[in-house]
Amino acid sequence: MHKTMSKKRNIAIIGLGVTKFGELFNQSYDDLVRDAANQAVKDAEIELDDVGGAWLSTAFPEIGVFKGRSGMDLVEPLNLYGIPVTRVSNFCASGADSIRNAANSLAAGECDVAMALGVEKLRDRSPQDSIVKMMVELSHPYYQKGFTAAGTFAVYAKRIMHEYGLTREDIANISVKNHYHGSLNEKAHHRMTCSTDQVLGSPMVADPLTVMDSCPTTDGAACVIMVRAEDVDKTKHNPIFIDGVGLSVSTGWDLPFFDPKHDFLSFQATKDAAAMAYKQAGITNPIDEIDLVEVHDCFSIVELLTYEDLGFCKQGEAKDMIRGKATQLGGEIPVNVSGGLLSCGHPVGATGVRMVVEIANHLRGEAGERQVKGAKRGISHNIGGPGAIASVIVLNNEN
Amino acid sequence: MSYIKEYRVALPEFRISDKTLHPRLGRKGQHAVCYTDQDIITLAFDACQNFTKDVDAVFFATTTPVFRNRYHASYIADLLGLEQGILAMDFGTSVRAGSDALLMADKLIKSGEYKNILVIASEVYYPEIGKETRAAFGHAAVVMLITDEEGIAEITNTKSYSSALAEDFRYKGEKVQYDARFARNEGFKMNLGLVLKESNINSSDVNQIILHSPYAKNAFGQLKKAGFDIEKQLMKDTVAMSVGNTGACHGLFLLINAIENGQGNIFLFDYLNGTNVIELTNNTIIEFPPIKEGTQIEAYQDYLQLRKQGKFTARGYESIEMFSSEMISEREKDGLVYLRGYECVKCGTIYYMKAARCNACHQTEFNQKQLEKTGIVYTATSEYYFPNSFAPTNMVVIDLDGGGRITVQQTDDMFPTEENIIKIGDKVELVFRKMMENDKKPNYFWKCIKR
Repeated sequence: MHKTMSKKRNIAIIGLGVTKFGELFNQSYDDLVRDAANQAVKDAEIELDDVGGAWLSTAFPEIGVFKGRSGMDLVEPLNLYGIPVTRVSNFCASGADSIRNAANSLAAGECDVAMALGVEKLRDRSPQDSIVKMMVELSHPYYQKGFTAAGTFAVYAKRIMHEYGLTREDIANISVKNHYHGSLNEKAHHRMTCSTDQVLGSPMVADPLTVMDSCPTTDGAACVIMVRAEDVDKTKHNPIFIDGVGLSVSTGWDLPFFDPKHDFLSFQATKDAAAMAYKQAGITNPIDEIDLVEVHDCFSIVELLTYEDLGFCKQGEAKDMIRGKATQLGGEIPVNVSGGLLSCGHPVGATGVRMVVEIANHLRGEAGERQVKGAKRGISHNIGGPGAIASVIVLNNEN
Repeated sequence: MSYIKEYRVALPEFRISDKTLHPRLGRKGQHAVCYTDQDIITLAFDACQNFTKDVDAVFFATTTPVFRNRYHASYIADLLGLEQGILAMDFGTSVRAGSDALLMADKLIKSGEYKNILVIASEVYYPEIGKETRAAFGHAAVVMLITDEEGIAEITNTKSYSSALAEDFRYKGEKVQYDARFARNEGFKMNLGLVLKESNINSSDVNQIILHSPYAKNAFGQLKKAGFDIEKQLMKDTVAMSVGNTGACHGLFLLINAIENGQGNIFLFDYLNGTNVIELTNNTIIEFPPIKEGTQIEAYQDYLQLRKQGKFTARGYESIEMFSSEMISEREKDGLVYLRGYECVKCGTIYYMKAARCNACHQTEFNQKQLEKTGIVYTATSEYYFPNSFAPTNMVVIDLDGGGRITVQQTDDMFPTEENIIKIGDKVELVFRKMMENDKKPNYFWKCIKR
């Protein structure tokens, strides 16, 4: 008996779709759903009506346009009625969780063709009307009052700097690296490069994190079409296989801030999700067995400490990876070649799906200018809640 | 017999000078002013710490109520964890409310029906903006524990003489009606004349006399006629210069001043709509630290920002309003107010929040544990985009002395500097403040200051 899934599900991703990410003032929530879904359906060379089950990931309907409260908001813009559709909400891991649910449904035989689509429409509101306001107006009247999302990660940065000699420049250099990568990605929200000084000199958000250490608030959608590996039509499809999917809720929303044993040095959720996914994929030495990674860099510090949580280096050594440029395009293990959340932006429900599309493009050899050469296996990672919930998906171009 | 057994004054950290309020008048006074998260409740709570043993009645005096139809005495008794069902009463609408409460406490103690009465006066009055020259103000809370056991000073007599005349008063809203010349010139004089005649005070038995009325000078003649030496016997009101006139607190504040000045017989005449006479005999010498100077507010703009009193205003969030719920405040009071945590029976880990299982050893039994109000900073950050009266909002994760962890805002931090922003390893102390207020209710919780 296994507490969590211990073997591969034998699932293939056969269709990929991702919209431009950014302030998409001319596109509605429904437009974004149609754009991503149609791209994925076309890429998979199927008909929309072939889809037998779908999962919609939107994390924050109440601070967006009040859409995404149920699966209904996926089928309505597509006119895809008469199949089971479920809305998935798991903070920043929502997109990845929609893929996990689709994979499980396929493995269980509930449907033969599954769609996982993530979408978030945040920019129809002013910045002051969005996530910060939600933290004040909706959350517990006393606990954590005073934090924004940035602050809940800044307290990790402060403690890690205190414990391990991580410098402000090390953190900023994550942003420099990812903005360089993002300049190569035509679908990224921000496509400019930046210097360490620019990151350090941008307005402070939550000490030590500045505006340029923080991902933008963004509109966007991404979609994948999935089938069981045995159903792949090799004459049509360029399949990417799911080697492992791990998802773990390892602490609570409030608990880390009131638990004397919480060290603010790592995310247990990432460690737990990685252990599940690695076990399914048979990975024992991740840095040697993985060719590229998409990491949840909502704030630059999060990418740094995730190097350790994903087992790429020992605790306290992440700074050496960024100093040695190991995670830059062309380095030992390129991380966030898409530009990450820092460049692409973070339409919360869409992000996890976008990352999987990015990895799949590299594994297909279709990533263009930013292609990681010879990439065979990659992983995507999300963390949210903040730090409570993580997902890790291992993708392979062979089954 | 009744005694002032113990007393305490709570003052906010900040001061604004007359020089900043009205630079051309040449006045040299100071006014203690609350931080945005303080009010009569938090000041009173601060003053009352360690005064809660065996209390069987609470009197609360203020002319600046937080609630329109709720007894602050009951509210504060509950916050202090006193037993439900004790006697709790408010006194208000006149600045002699503080001595009203003291007078009633004295009578009840002498009746033998009550043993330990907490007399609290707390005042957070702001004059109309731009009219600061015309109204004395200063924020403070004073608490006195009145008992039948011998204490610092014996209350030998208390009496109250009514008068219908008021000095400057407010009718509707905040606007002060200044046209009260008759009361100003004649009211206190007439009332004091009556008091001195009725009470048969022998001037030679008095060591210190205190007049609490903004127009005390008009009544000097009455005192002289009764045989008093103004120069020698009348106590100078130094409190008014260092923290301002503290309204309903002021009579009690001056009594404390007199007790600290030295031994002997003290008479307080506390006036508005009549005079309260409080007679004390002080047989002890009190070692008392001088009133703290506090932190000066140099800019009038900062003072205006302080007056917004906890409304979220920064960064364009004019319309933001914090969620509040009387149900949550009541249901979670054990932690939110009383700082009662939970200790794992097996591994001893202490949690601020209740959990089904210990996060460390997964055992399910806990004992309730009183958490300390001091601790060391484990990690912290300064939030520049959280809507607050002053940016940044400093968030502090604290490992409490004796166990447990809590995460709270830093407070009294309107002037952030390298030195005063709390950092990892700093020693901090929890203080009870308002998280913010909205149009429904104020939310009180803990914040921290550097020790």
